[in-house]
Amino acid sequence: MKLAIDETRCKGCNLCTKVCPYKIFKEGNKPNRKGIVVPELDRPERCANCRLQHLYGRTLCGVCQLTCPDQAIHWVEEQPYEPKKVAIEY
Amino acid sequence: MTFEDWFRTDRLPHIYCAGCGNGTIINCTLAAIDQMSWKKEETVFISGIGCSSRAPGYIVTDSLHTTHGRALAFATGVKMANPALNVVIFTGDGDLAAIGGNHFIHACRRNIDLTVVCMNNQIYGMTGGQGSPTTPKGCLSTTTPYGCSEPPFDLCELAIAAGANYVARWTSYHVKELEKAVRAGLETPGFSFIEAMTQCPTNFGRRNKFKQVADQVDYLKTHGVLRAKRERMIEQGEKIPEDLFVIGELMRRNRPAMGVKP
Ligand SMILES: Cc1ncc(C[n+]2csc(CCOP(=O)(O)OP(=O)(O)O)c2C)c(N)n1
Ligand code: SF4
Ligand code: SF4
Ligand code: SF4
Ligand SMILES: [Mg+2]
Repeated sequence: MKLAIDETRCKGCNLCTKVCPYKIFKEGNKPNRKGIVVPELDRPERCANCRLQHLYGRTLCGVCQLTCPDQAIHWVEEQPYEPKKVAIEY
Repeated sequence: MTFEDWFRTDRLPHIYCAGCGNGTIINCTLAAIDQMSWKKEETVFISGIGCSSRAPGYIVTDSLHTTHGRALAFATGVKMANPALNVVIFTGDGDLAAIGGNHFIHACRRNIDLTVVCMNNQIYGMTGGQGSPTTPKGCLSTTTPYGCSEPPFDLCELAIAAGANYVARWTSYHVKELEKAVRAGLETPGFSFIEAMTQCPTNFGRRNKFKQVADQVDYLKTHGVLRAKRERMIEQGEKIPEDLFVIGELMRRNRPAMGVKP
């Protein structure tokens, strides 16, 4: 699974940058077409849900998605499958 | 299914300001509802008027966006006419406790099988930031330009005193806890009241020294104390600062209820 921010919904509040235990969301610096500064993703493959959702069959963590007031955070299937080497910090 | 399936995606993005906590509270409520194996056609959302009360308009089920303060009066009618329906109410501090205060205490007294999620941003958000019955002492609003001098209502205490079966308070920071509390409320027969303290950056935060959205969320995070911790503090004779508020499950009981699903 791949973490993604929906730019058509994000309003740039930056709440996601405060809640992720891995600090995957970083404040962005360039306004998009709508003038909104959407956060950037720092090595999103570290996200627990990206790695383990299929294995467990349910959403893991998901705190960023629940917190995002604008329903802009979601996970998309990777196609084609992109193998990745992930260093997990704990 | 996930909570995202309950949204009317054609209506998103919603009209809430950037960083408004209402969206977070809708997420948590829908995440709890998604676990209930409720059918969409047997679930009804009801609200009054206010920013918070616009929530049902973004949800796929049938809904009633009623008049200011009257969400609970309409909900009482819906639930008593057809107890088989699952009825969830979104309301604001002004809608519930100011103009709707009487409906609130009597719905608690009757203990009707409803779940009420109150987005308490301590202000009238929609109309431009007038003080509400939950505006804390000293806070600035357009109607309290020198700082609010009245003591605020404690909505959870009010619900408990009036007879609600389930009462809990969390904040827009405590998303997982809020989700669990709403779930517990949905499962409890009788009146369930979940107060979600939330940020209104536009009309509360801006006037009360919260420059960034995250500053007010941080405040909510650091000023909520669990009931057990508060009791410990009292036991040890510590003085409890006036700006702390209790969070957690505050009541779960089994008074006789009305309108419970047959
Ligand atoms: C009978 C009536 N009186 C007053 C109003 C104006 N009014 C609209 S929303 C509102 C306050 C809403 O405050 P709250 O319930 O806290 O909602 P918020 O916008 O803060 O989420 C008021 C007074 C109205 N619409 N109808
Ligand atoms: S929390 Fe949501 S709306 Fe806010 S910046 Fe992050 S993705 Fe955008
Ligand atoms: S699901 Fe959890 S770990 Fe993954 S990005 Fe969101 S907050 Fe971070
Ligand atoms: S005015 Fe306040 S409550 Fe209303 S949408 Fe804006 S931030 Fe949210
Ligand atoms: Mg309000």
